[in-house]
Amino acid sequence: MDRTKQNDIIRRARAMADKASFVADDFAQVLFPRTDVVFNDRMRSNAQQYLHGAVNQIEKRICEIATRDLGATHEMLQSIGQGGDGQSFALLEHGGLLNQPEIVQHLFVKTQQMELAARLLQKISQEDLESTLTRHLDHEDPPVAQAAMGLLVAQSKSTGPAGEVAVSLADLPPEIVYAIAWPVTAALARLSATPGSRLQQAAERLLVEHDESAGLARKAERLAQLLEQAKTEKDPAPHPMKDGLALFVARLARQSGLTSDQIVTFTAEPNMARFIVVLRAAGYPVQDALSIYAALDSGDNILTAATYGELDRDRSLDLVSRWTAPQAYQNADRILSRDHLGEDER
Amino acid sequence: MSTARKLAEPVLGLVDADGLLLSADPLLMRLHLRCGGKEGGPLAVPELAALCRLSRRLGMNLSRPVQASDDDCRIEMWVETRLASPERDQPLSLSIIDWKEYSHDESDKIDPARDRDFDRLEGRGAIRTDAALRIIAQQMPGNVARNFDAIGRSLLDIYDVIPPSAHAKLLEAVAERQPIRNQRVRQKSGEQALFLMQGQPLINKAGLFAGYRFTATPDDPTQNQEVGDADSKSVGGKLISDSLFGMQLGPALRQPLGKIIANAETISSKLEGPLRGDYASYAKDIASAGRHLLDLVNDLSDLEAIERPEFTVAGDDIDLIDLAHRAAGLLAVKAADHQIRLELPDKELKLPACGEFRRSLQILVNLIGNAIRYSPDGSVIKLAVAADQGFARITVSDQGDGIAAEDQERIFEKFERLGRSGDGGSGLGLFISRRLARAMGGSLAVESVAGKGSTFTLSLPERKKP
Repeated sequence: MDRTKQNDIIRRARAMADKASFVADDFAQVLFPRTDVVFNDRMRSNAQQYLHGAVNQIEKRICEIATRDLGATHEMLQSIGQGGDGQSFALLEHGGLLNQPEIVQHLFVKTQQMELAARLLQKISQEDLESTLTRHLDHEDPPVAQAAMGLLVAQSKSTGPAGEVAVSLADLPPEIVYAIAWPVTAALARLSATPGSRLQQAAERLLVEHDESAGLARKAERLAQLLEQAKTEKDPAPHPMKDGLALFVARLARQSGLTSDQIVTFTAEPNMARFIVVLRAAGYPVQDALSIYAALDSGDNILTAATYGELDRDRSLDLVSRWTAPQAYQNADRILSRDHLGEDER
Repeated sequence: MSTARKLAEPVLGLVDADGLLLSADPLLMRLHLRCGGKEGGPLAVPELAALCRLSRRLGMNLSRPVQASDDDCRIEMWVETRLASPERDQPLSLSIIDWKEYSHDESDKIDPARDRDFDRLEGRGAIRTDAALRIIAQQMPGNVARNFDAIGRSLLDIYDVIPPSAHAKLLEAVAERQPIRNQRVRQKSGEQALFLMQGQPLINKAGLFAGYRFTATPDDPTQNQEVGDADSKSVGGKLISDSLFGMQLGPALRQPLGKIIANAETISSKLEGPLRGDYASYAKDIASAGRHLLDLVNDLSDLEAIERPEFTVAGDDIDLIDLAHRAAGLLAVKAADHQIRLELPDKELKLPACGEFRRSLQILVNLIGNAIRYSPDGSVIKLAVAADQGFARITVSDQGDGIAAEDQERIFEKFERLGRSGDGGSGLGLFISRRLARAMGGSLAVESVAGKGSTFTLSLPERKKP
């Protein structure tokens, strides 16, 4: 065995010794999941790709600012800034810095959105789906038409080549950009031995430059707000095949008082139970609810008119109103009711 | 009503690093002041202030929907924050590009949850039923799991209606789609809590009766002891209502009867869809027979109560004219079915008397119900009041066949029907009414000439006008 190989094995053995205590934790999570949500291999792969893409985008932009605007001259930074391969992902992953709850939650939502988009494409062609975005361009209310154009532009920017997981820096929520940017900056400072202050300045500039209003999610929410304000009783209920996924989710979120991320999360749960309750609470007629369910379901489950019709609207409203409470409150409430009351049935 | 302000220019504001509102356009300043803020003070619009803090913490420009509320309206905004530079101590600009106001009246209308919140705040529970009195939603104080268990079951399966004689009134009110006021009920299982219920009939968009929304206030048991003295007076540690009808046969019969009546009503009113005419008519007959049986059960319960030596009634301050209007209101639909006009004393007048409110109303409902039953269609039933010799009197006169002189005392006897049957009477109503009138220190008498109608007079001790 040559020396290089020996060294490699020793390095791996040391690394494995450091992590050995977590093996049981990882296996326990696989054996004893705490939710009924199923994560398939495609979702895992998409999540990995998306996270990689997000880190690389942020890294590239920081390097770009540092070298172009702030005079950093390190070769690695210049290379990354000009589109070369990112270097910090492996370091951050190894250090566990990407395993932050808000990043993971965002990854899950994005991955589920990709799942939903894929399911929609089994029922409607890409062309038809894209044409839904032009629906509101001629709206009589100029702000609505303007917002619709904004969404169309954002959507076109965020759509990557078929089969690829596209990541657009503009579409990342500010909290996620913030959560990734600082660890990336620290990693770059360590890898390049560049003074931290210059890279920190670059990161600050990246953050202040980030325009949330240009992102797809906010464009969809803005259009949803204007459409809901302008809607009449004759307007049909929102539908993913008529509005597109982003706008549909944003409209339903607005109608129910929940967030778009919550709505997407509900669609990943078994039988989409919470999603159905949200539709019922928002007063969706039976036929619309069945059609929406069929459009978003993976095809394994059936929602019948009787099941939906039997859902008590008051009770659904009550449940949805509980889910609109801040997450920290809901968590605390759940723990308190479990530990001390033992009789709450939410 | 909602007001959209078409903002030609965004509403602007400037917030410093400490969250103080340095400057603001008039619209934002007005909102800030109405939210309790001061000029130059911390931004007082909570969600807006939170957005500024987040923007500053992240060092990023945000663009998000924000809601605010002042005394007059709820406001939906779309807000963009702009940091001049990454420097932490630089002011942050707010740019509100969309501003829509909703008046609170409108918010109240579109948010039924508010009603429920107020109910909970006041310790009240709420129950929604369908047209057949089946519970479709329940939010009662106490055990939450029990609320869920009640869904789908008949209201009368979950709650006992007390006192017994009020049971028929409840169902009568339901059949006539009337509001239900101050109905006392007791949970059948669990802690057997007492509630005072108020019910409003619900009409759906098609104009059809769709059920009731009840609010239930916990009833004070100590008060019940006083008010319900007539029924539940303690005798040697045993309640009067622990008797054959009071607690045993009565509830056992009322539950199935209540179900039969409610379901038959649902069928006959074709609420569930079209139905052959004769089937609807059969269902009406079933409901009618059920009501008759229920009345009989209630009468027997009353009979059992009043025949006990310990039976007493409360001495409430009552107004006979008010009672006359209430009783007539309860039977208005029944009278209208026979084109009978009820002529009532002027509502503005008063005739104070002393007697138990509930029992006096029961007597009047019985008298007017009899008058409707035995009067020809299209006739007039007249209620008149008078006061003399220390008694307040109310008379119910009909234009029916009258009662022969020799029968005039017999009609007050138990189970006396004067040979009539199939008219829905039990033969106990007048017997009970007279016993109740006497228990209240009054009397119930009849004057009649065969063929010229009858006049029943209820006399109760007069109470000095306040």
